[in-house]
Amino acid sequence: MQHLSIFPILIPLLFGAIMLLPPISRDISSQRISSIVGTLFLLASSAVLLFKVDNEGVQLYALGGWQAPFGIALVADRISSLLVLLTSFLAFAVMLYSISGKDKGGAYFHPLFMFQIMGINGAFLTGDIFNLFVFFEVLLIASYALLIHAGGKQKTQAAMHYVILNLVGSSLFLFGLGILYGTLGTLNMADMAIKVGQLEGETATLAKTGALLLLVVFGLKAAMLPMHFWLPKTYASASAPVAALFAIMTKVGIYSIFRVYTVIFGEHAGELANIATPWLWPLALLTILIGSIGVFASPNIRTMSANLVIVSSGSLLACAAINSEAATSAAFYYMVHSTLASAGLFLLADVMARQRGKAEDRFVHSRLFVQPRLLGVAFAISALALIGMPPLSGFVGKIMILQATQSTAQTMWVWPLILIGSLAALVTFSRAGTTLFWRHNGSASSDAEPAKANEIVGIGLLLLASPILVLFGGEISEFTQQAAHYLHDIQSSAYDLLPGVTQ
Amino acid sequence: MEGLYAFCVGLLTACGIFLTLRGRSFSVVMGLTLLSYAVNLFLFASGRLKLNAAAVLGQSEQYSDPLPQALVLTAIVIGFAMTAFAVILAMRARADLGNDHVDGVLPAQPGDPTYKSGGHH
Amino acid sequence: MNSLIWLPFLPLLGTLIPLISNRLSRTECAFLTAVLPALTLVLILINAGNIVQGERFQAAIPWIPSIGLELAFRLDGLALLFSILILGIGLLVILYARYYLSDKDPMGKFYAYLMLFMFAMLGVVLSDNLIQLWFFWELTSISSFLLISFWGHKTEARKGARMALTVTGAGGLALLAGLLILGDTVGSFSLQTVLDSGDLIKASTSYPVIVVLVLLGAFTKSAQFPFHFWLPNAMAAPTPVSAYLHSATMVKAGIFLMARFYPALADTDLWFLIVSLTGLATFLMGAYIALFQHDLKGLLANSTISHLGLITLLLGMGTDLAAVAAIFHIINHAIFKASLFMAAGIIDHESGSRDMRQLNGLWKYMPYTATLAMVASASMAGVPLMNGFLSKEMFFTETLHQASLGSLSWLIPVLATLGGVFAVAYSMRFIHDVFFNGEPINLPKTPHEPPRYMRVPVEILVALCLLVGIFPSYMVGDLLFSAASATLNSTPPSYSLAIWHGFNLPLLMSIIALIGGLIMYQNRPHLFKFQAQFPKSDPKLVFEGVVQSLASAANRFISFTENGSLQRYTFFTLLLAVIMTAASLMKLNATAGQRPEIPVDAVSITAAVLLSISALATVLWHRRRVVALITLSVVGLIVSLAFAQFSAPDLALTQLSVEVVTVILLILALFFLPQKTPKESSPRRVVRDLSLASLIGGVVGTICYALMTRPLDTISTFFTENSKTGGGGTNVVNVILVDFRGFDTLGEITVLGIAALGIYKLIARMRLFMPSSNDRGLAWSEDKNPILLAVISQSLLPLALLVSAYIFLRGHNMPGGGFIAGLITSVAIIQQYVGHGVEWIKTRVKLDYQIMIGSGIGIATLSGLGSWTFGHTFLSSWFDYFYLPVIGKFELASAMIFDLGVFLTVVGATMLILANLGQLTTSERPIQKEND
Repeated sequence: MQHLSIFPILIPLLFGAIMLLPPISRDISSQRISSIVGTLFLLASSAVLLFKVDNEGVQLYALGGWQAPFGIALVADRISSLLVLLTSFLAFAVMLYSISGKDKGGAYFHPLFMFQIMGINGAFLTGDIFNLFVFFEVLLIASYALLIHAGGKQKTQAAMHYVILNLVGSSLFLFGLGILYGTLGTLNMADMAIKVGQLEGETATLAKTGALLLLVVFGLKAAMLPMHFWLPKTYASASAPVAALFAIMTKVGIYSIFRVYTVIFGEHAGELANIATPWLWPLALLTILIGSIGVFASPNIRTMSANLVIVSSGSLLACAAINSEAATSAAFYYMVHSTLASAGLFLLADVMARQRGKAEDRFVHSRLFVQPRLLGVAFAISALALIGMPPLSGFVGKIMILQATQSTAQTMWVWPLILIGSLAALVTFSRAGTTLFWRHNGSASSDAEPAKANEIVGIGLLLLASPILVLFGGEISEFTQQAAHYLHDIQSSAYDLLPGVTQ
Repeated sequence: MEGLYAFCVGLLTACGIFLTLRGRSFSVVMGLTLLSYAVNLFLFASGRLKLNAAAVLGQSEQYSDPLPQALVLTAIVIGFAMTAFAVILAMRARADLGNDHVDGVLPAQPGDPTYKSGGHH
Repeated sequence: MNSLIWLPFLPLLGTLIPLISNRLSRTECAFLTAVLPALTLVLILINAGNIVQGERFQAAIPWIPSIGLELAFRLDGLALLFSILILGIGLLVILYARYYLSDKDPMGKFYAYLMLFMFAMLGVVLSDNLIQLWFFWELTSISSFLLISFWGHKTEARKGARMALTVTGAGGLALLAGLLILGDTVGSFSLQTVLDSGDLIKASTSYPVIVVLVLLGAFTKSAQFPFHFWLPNAMAAPTPVSAYLHSATMVKAGIFLMARFYPALADTDLWFLIVSLTGLATFLMGAYIALFQHDLKGLLANSTISHLGLITLLLGMGTDLAAVAAIFHIINHAIFKASLFMAAGIIDHESGSRDMRQLNGLWKYMPYTATLAMVASASMAGVPLMNGFLSKEMFFTETLHQASLGSLSWLIPVLATLGGVFAVAYSMRFIHDVFFNGEPINLPKTPHEPPRYMRVPVEILVALCLLVGIFPSYMVGDLLFSAASATLNSTPPSYSLAIWHGFNLPLLMSIIALIGGLIMYQNRPHLFKFQAQFPKSDPKLVFEGVVQSLASAANRFISFTENGSLQRYTFFTLLLAVIMTAASLMKLNATAGQRPEIPVDAVSITAAVLLSISALATVLWHRRRVVALITLSVVGLIVSLAFAQFSAPDLALTQLSVEVVTVILLILALFFLPQKTPKESSPRRVVRDLSLASLIGGVVGTICYALMTRPLDTISTFFTENSKTGGGGTNVVNVILVDFRGFDTLGEITVLGIAALGIYKLIARMRLFMPSSNDRGLAWSEDKNPILLAVISQSLLPLALLVSAYIFLRGHNMPGGGFIAGLITSVAIIQQYVGHGVEWIKTRVKLDYQIMIGSGIGIATLSGLGSWTFGHTFLSSWFDYFYLPVIGKFELASAMIFDLGVFLTVVGATMLILANLGQLTTSERPIQKEND
């Protein structure tokens, strides 16, 4: 199946377009059906793609039949196909959660959702830096529209900040692209990786400014300090499915950092080797710190989950700073874990809030849940996963990161920060859990609505991923190791992608 | 010529940035528009300037770099979409929040009791 | 012994049984729950014989090699000893809890948690892999959290559980760090390897770090000073839990850890100093505090702390015999302390109080229980013929042989004796205060003997106290020996487990302790008076207070940094950008490069000046919005001229048409926004922003200039060469857009479409803010559609459509294309709206813009998919030349279909935006569709 690697982009695009056309555009139920079908197709094709890549190696797809570096090429390697599968799985679970009412309260939820997925998958798959920009814009504009879904003052205000900051970010992106094209004369990332090595002197210096501008842009997406301010309010005010879907968005920034500063500006970049590292180190550590403080200060579940996203970004950025195979492998294992776990918590927070009346998801004394057992178990699972306690996936990721950072000079900074971060999460979660589930007065409220079956399944899928990540931790971590090895090997990640170019 | 061009790009950037840092949504939108002009000129210039060298085959003996032009074209369209969204969002914010400040609340003015706290909320 | 792999998982399976058998009677539930642990115990005891012979069972299967985690279990002497304690006492606790729990308590839940804990604890002691050890270590913290907070509706239960979890959790993190470094130093996470490479570890530079981190884990778990405070507060748990976790098993996990790593880490000065001094301090402090408790369980908890300190002290001494004594005391303490907790539970259960100020003279009411409790506490005091006496005797002996404190070494035996005195005193109090000493004082209910089988566990344990005390070597000799040799990783030195060693110093110390204890108990009123002078401080409150204040501090910090000001956020982002770029730009020696520059001509200068002026004007007049908008559009105009001049006709056209639409949009928007911007930026902010802006402008300008003045060879030659032959068009830019990089364009129109949808979402729910007049108070004109405009626009429409058709068709070879054509068409349609008003259009033009967007994107995509039928990749273009009469030779290209999609999307999106925006003021304003 030669076209497999473009399916993750085309499927959501076509489904999104079709949902704008009658008859499907007319009523929501048929939109729901087609969304589920679409995400299922997506899931299947991404799984097949991953399998194929794992067996047959990287899949190169030259769009329009124009070979790289001249045309746009999609590169489905282990990492991109893993993240595409992650996105598709997330999309399916979240969509399953949404189809019982969360998709109402605003037009076009389903098409926008599909376009958002298309943007994310495109950003993961493309091997062309300007095409990356285009897909960034696709996923951004879709996220703007989804953020204001279901309306409300908070959403409007959060959207204002989110949109404007990202518009500034897009301008910086274009400046950076201009500089890189103006110095390298190419847009294909593999080609850039090779050409960068030959740059020297003033041209190299110019290219460096462009590269660092891109770091700012990706950092903004990844909520790297001091560009994390937008995240808590945005995620906390977005409607549950949207927030859950956003859990992957910071990861797009992280992924781009790995892609650009490992393949293009990695060890082989001559004068520009590892230029991001000196900037990434302090910012990553500070991001972990401020995220942990935020977690500790959170008044409700949603804000806490948002701050946990910042912490995970910090840890991932630290891995990017090390720029070693072990660190990259750790980062991508951790990425899968934290995306699914935090998405699950966002959805769970919504269900819990709906059962607590005015108290919503705030850590205050309130009435009893309608489904205390179910929610309690779910909350415990996501808590253990996100704190990083056995037996759930968080601890594997944490240990991988700790081991990856062990032999570096920064260990005495990274380790305490990561461990204290976990402690902060532990304290916050234990206080939250005991308050939410045990400090209640009397009976459940009559008007509270219990979680519906599809919602439970959606959350269940996300939470179930955590134990599975541990049970099959051996296989998965081996996979991420191979992926990391591929990314760090210039021969495979650059030369092999360009027909007729040899080292 | 290049110097003049670069100066204009720089000036547009500066003006755009300054307006983007203002507190009212409409100023910010205008700032972003100016900024996008600067960005497009900059991206265009990354292919170097050429006179009478339109990249249409057979029209001139030497051609300017067509690729940045294509990129800028894409950038213009995307920029238009983004500006449109931003400006309508500004309207929506004005309708929802009652003012057109980007933070949705008017900053404390000198004389207000809350002035010292610098407009927290 | 592969069964060893699944052996520990039997209790895990056991967690399900109580949940299922919950519906049955309480007895049946308890019985069924006990089955699997009993089975496990039997299976272990079957192999006990071989282990005592010195055999060691190990089994491992790989799990996550990348982090050094494998599923590895070992059953050696130490593991055997602890397994027997965990399972044996566990079984007794199950029986005991059956009668302790009231009908209201959810029994199945309780047993499930208990089984979970048993599984975790078993995993710890059987682990043969460092990471796995930590894995189970954390599981014990979690399960104990669940057990302590079993009565979660009680405040002290929640607080106690949180405190325990926080302290042990913090210790667990330290332990993890320690184990990771340890494994890294040794090069393996296999326990055996670590135990065998003690010298290597002690020689390595990271040894101190390892010791400190591992000990932090052990001390927090085993409630060693200064981390002891969580244990008394964990007494909020049901008494069976206290008997199980807080005397026999979990608090012993820290001790187990020290014993386990004894060969690897012990026997250095650092180890001695930290461990033995901590142990000594804990030993004395616990014993002292225990004396002043009024709560039975409080007394026992503090006595536990003290005994744990004693064991720690022994492990710290570093001599092999001390280690043996430590192991022996682990056994004894587990036995008598568990029985004492159960007794306390019975008393609480049957008399309704645990307060020793109320509990008096219970002998009359429950003589049988009283006897049991008295024997057990005698053992706790170290009275001869009890097991407690033997290990304490060994302890005293070891303190005498301790020389590590040099000339101060005499302190250790003296302090040890002092601790013994306190131990006797509080044991005395437990007996005398509760069972004698007058009559009970207003107890909730009249005390009586417990149900028959609730007493059985206590009886068994007390019997063991005596049996071990009288026939030590027969009862536990082999077990102790194998455990000791496993701990030392070598054969322990010879020792005798006799009761009578003749008259010697240790015996004297015991006697002093006994007599001194009795005297002290006699004079307790003075002690209590003295103690009463100290201000009372509840660690629970202190701990909660600390957490609270930390949280509020964090809160203040966050609300200070994230103050919700977009201007600040943008400023930081741009600041970071300029710092990064400027830092590297400084290394650029010469701005100008070698590339020859184009000479400046008058036109360009005028244009540049005009541009600068209007840009600056926009900034200066930005508060007068309409004016600023006009100057802004002038800038846009000149930009498009610039494109035209530097040979980019397509860009010029696009920029121009986009400009028109944008201005229309902004004017429409301005109708709903204030016409003026108030002056509110403080001068400081203005200066700050100005300097940042000009700095960035400078940087950008510099880079732009530096780029333009340097030569560059790009991939573009490929495009000019293949445009005609491969793409079938002479307008290279257009061919790039629809062919070489058509994928970008597809994304681009998707963006446009999404934006339109998003804007529809925004508009459709907008609560309108409709001004009746502009800022100067002039009312907006009532007659919306001037007739002249109507006529002109209507007559212009066909022309405009014709132009756009032309632009569209020629796009492939001349400047133009679907996008520009689309914009022109939309402008033409908008003219109709402006000219005739919405209602007029609605009746005549039947266009669903949403469908246009959808079909536009659809067509573009499908045109790309078409190539699949020919086995080409997505968006591969096809073109050919045909000849028709009249028209002549013309070209058809798949790219044109793609461009048609672009056209449709552009028109649809632009109209969806502008039309809806225009309709806001009319009766036609959009309302939400059915699906919201």
